[in-house]
Amino acid sequence: MTKIGLEIHCQLTNLQSKLFCSCKANYREFGPNENICPVCAGIPGSLPRLNQEAVKKATMIAMALNCSTPEKIAFFRKNYFYPDLPKNFQITQLNIYGDTSVGGTGTISIGDKKIRITRIQLEEDPGRIIYEGSSSKNQITLVDYNRAGTPLVEIVTEPDFETPREVRDFLNILSDLLKNLGVADPSLEGAMRADANVSVHGGNKVEIKNIGSFHDLEKASHFEITRQESLHDRDIPIAQETRHWDDRRKITVSSRSKEEDLDYRYFLEGDIPWVKINPEIREELKLKMPESISSKKERYISKYNISAQVADVLSSDKFYSDLFEEAHTELNAKEVANIITTELMGLEDTREKRETSKLTAVHLKELADAIQTGTVSRNSSKNALHEILKTGKTVSAVISELDLGNVSDETELLKIVEKIISDEPQAVEQAKSNIQTINYLVGKVMQATKGKADPTLTLNLLKKQIGI
Amino acid sequence: MVTVEEIENVSKLMKIDIDDHSEYLDKVKKMISYFDILDSAGVESEEISMPEISIESLRKDEFIPFEDKLIEKMNHYKGTYVHAPKMS
Amino acid sequence: MMNLKISALEFVEEAKNGNISVEDFIGKTLERIDSVEDKLHALLSINDKALDQARELDKKIKSGEDVGACFGMPISIKDNMCIKNTKTTCASKMLENFIAPYDATVISKLKKQDAIFIGKANMDEFAMGLTTEFSAYGPSKNPWNTEYVPGGSSGGSAVSVSSFECVASLGSDTGGSIRNPASFCSTVGYKPTYGLISRYGLISYANSIEQIGPLTRTVKDSAFMLNLIAGIDPNDDTTVNNNNEDYLANIDSGIEGKKIGIITDMMGDGIDPEVLTATKEAISKLEGLGAVCEEVSLEMVKYSVAAYYTITATEAGSNLARYDNLRYGYDFPVEGYEFNSYISKARRNFGPEVTRRMIIGGFVPSAGHAGKYFLKAMKVKTKLTKEINEAFKKFDLLIAPTVPVLPFKIGEKIDDPVSLFLIDINTVTANLTGKPAISIPFKIVNGLPIGIQLMANSMNDKLLLQAAHALEKTVTLPEVTI
Repeated sequence: MTKIGLEIHCQLTNLQSKLFCSCKANYREFGPNENICPVCAGIPGSLPRLNQEAVKKATMIAMALNCSTPEKIAFFRKNYFYPDLPKNFQITQLNIYGDTSVGGTGTISIGDKKIRITRIQLEEDPGRIIYEGSSSKNQITLVDYNRAGTPLVEIVTEPDFETPREVRDFLNILSDLLKNLGVADPSLEGAMRADANVSVHGGNKVEIKNIGSFHDLEKASHFEITRQESLHDRDIPIAQETRHWDDRRKITVSSRSKEEDLDYRYFLEGDIPWVKINPEIREELKLKMPESISSKKERYISKYNISAQVADVLSSDKFYSDLFEEAHTELNAKEVANIITTELMGLEDTREKRETSKLTAVHLKELADAIQTGTVSRNSSKNALHEILKTGKTVSAVISELDLGNVSDETELLKIVEKIISDEPQAVEQAKSNIQTINYLVGKVMQATKGKADPTLTLNLLKKQIGI
Repeated sequence: MVTVEEIENVSKLMKIDIDDHSEYLDKVKKMISYFDILDSAGVESEEISMPEISIESLRKDEFIPFEDKLIEKMNHYKGTYVHAPKMS
Repeated sequence: MMNLKISALEFVEEAKNGNISVEDFIGKTLERIDSVEDKLHALLSINDKALDQARELDKKIKSGEDVGACFGMPISIKDNMCIKNTKTTCASKMLENFIAPYDATVISKLKKQDAIFIGKANMDEFAMGLTTEFSAYGPSKNPWNTEYVPGGSSGGSAVSVSSFECVASLGSDTGGSIRNPASFCSTVGYKPTYGLISRYGLISYANSIEQIGPLTRTVKDSAFMLNLIAGIDPNDDTTVNNNNEDYLANIDSGIEGKKIGIITDMMGDGIDPEVLTATKEAISKLEGLGAVCEEVSLEMVKYSVAAYYTITATEAGSNLARYDNLRYGYDFPVEGYEFNSYISKARRNFGPEVTRRMIIGGFVPSAGHAGKYFLKAMKVKTKLTKEINEAFKKFDLLIAPTVPVLPFKIGEKIDDPVSLFLIDINTVTANLTGKPAISIPFKIVNGLPIGIQLMANSMNDKLLLQAAHALEKTVTLPEVTI
């Protein structure tokens, strides 16, 4: 029986500033050591100043994960030496004097299964180490503190996962949830990292660190389970240890034992008083929280009669669900949802494409309306969409420029229908005896009109002319 | 009783080389033995207390870059990195 | 020489009225420093731009421009506070080459008020010590008798004020480090309520209990300094709002009817008879002014020293971890070294006392020992705070001698760490509980100073200064003759 637990670190990339100073939270645009100040560089005499919004956002995450949130939170020091740690201690949270981290126990569902959250804590990211030079003799260690002090939320789960697949599903759900809350963009490089702990058959827990991506996490879990099962089968005891994921060889490797570093001498951070989050503030945060994914999904299904599958896809994506909210009306909601999920998502499949797209909510609304009124067929609307993304021109301009308008003028259509009937006498005979085959003739009309004929009108005209 | 071994382990933990352990051992032993007096204070039932601050008094979330190029005032390597010893 | 002995307030008055020129005063101050520094070693560095700054100020004063409240007053700053672009060493070889890239908040505030920082004052290395004998750059000497210690860790601050090398000084107090040298050198030394003065730019030793404070010739001068540097600071989350309190206003109110508790646990075994006598004299003087004095006991005082050293060693062990010599420190290149061995070697530049505290600081909060030492110490702190809060329900102020012994000779106690610890027994309570405390010079016996300590409840700094001023006025003390 396999047990996997996770420790996920998520950067609060939507904040403006770091956790303890006013340097930028999102450090990615800076050259090395251009986003530092005395606080995050650990200069003597500097003091941490806690970011109010970080505490609020972390509390919202805790609420979204159904975790308890205490009235007072406290910070602690985790003491160890490492070049990426400017103070040689990390300011983090612990629960050794009662529940003082920003989130207590909670749950999150993946499908039918409930995963228990152990706690949620707020802490600072260390800096980054770059290695220059190849051989270990000549290697130079370079440190960049731009990332030091970036706000992190650590989410610790109970070992409730039983398969690597569950881990992957969970991470996707968590990613969507965090994005939906507006606290982070998990797609940014390094914004979300996770460590895992794995045990089989009630044996010792092995921690796996240094996992670079979610994809690797699934692989690493899979490898580790296999490794442990094989030891178990041969009656070899599994050591309780820390291993790291070797991305090159795709295996987990035992980490060098660093027994000197294991005692972190945790104690309260004297530079940060205990922070009171009174019930009024918590209520305010609850009310301000964006609608959850599951609530959106339900609303799409019950209010707009959108299919469960479409609702699922739409609600999980914050960018598109926001677009939907803006673009839809009571009448065209289903159509808008359709356009987004069947066409738009496929066209704008990268961040770059989304950012350069000229499509707005207004476009989407007008296009959906046009389809509903029959001004343009669904087929033609695809072409319209392409053009709008590229040029941003109005829906009506695009329809007329590309001549996408439906042929819905009866007189015009009648002419074409009559022509097809005279061209296809055999098909007409078939249709008289088997009405299903009339679709062939409808198709021919469509062909003749380059797909712009109104299908319903075409069908009716054909039936009338043939006399069925 | 504090042993030489414990002193050695702690000095590794605190990353300080000590040449002559026994010199320090004597003084450190005396200092730590003095702390045994805490055992008779009868404070087991006390709570740990800390000053408090309201969440509303905390710093507002704004990006304010530091006014100087701090890296130039620190030991730096190739202009912008900090040079650390090689990792084992 | 005569006019260097004036108080800060007198200096401001004279400078404002044009009776003295700032350049003149600074010039004379520098001469004075020149003549006594060899014997005293109070200062680690001297500001070579002081005269230029003085000249600039004289121009401003003459032309009627707005000038800050200090009017060019020469102030020494303990060398653990950051002044931008100035060497800040904490009297340690570890920070031999450290040049602060920013100003501490107290420094910015004083700069705005046109103070002139005449020099950085000597101290025990990283503020760990009671005698300034642990400075890596040599001890300071007591100007009353240069064979004696000046107290510590703000020894240089007290010496420079008491020997007229400056008009006032800023020191820091973690367990008595302002009050103790003030008492040994016969100056006023003030430790405010925890959180009253910003610690931004104060190089941390034990951040949960330390405070910056003034050392001055008179109590009014300390109130004057407090007005300039106290107040909530966005750069320090532990500062509290004092609503811009004016500590000088009504400082002459006196102490008629005030109730003063005599802390018996601070006057027990081991107290020098001269100190006991002096304290009793101070108590009668206070009664003569209309105060009501009564004995009170704080049971936790006898555990306070052990609790103090346990907590401060733990915090120091963590606060000093950043000194890995990678970003700042002294000259020791990293080439050829592996990380752990480089750092362990680099940190050998800590002095022996700091090293001992690092070892203790690694030991007492460690997984196997935290329960016995660190947690117990934290609980003693809580109980002591409860006891003193209880006492303040009955009393307005508490009194005791600042140090239970007279100043002693250099080298006399340096080898016995525990007997050195116990010098702190009267002062650490104020730090552990966050209460304001002041040492007032009271008597000179056999040529050596004795100071009396008063404490008040949190945020009652104004009351404390009033009482201290009242006591100060009851004695006239000789001047130092060096």
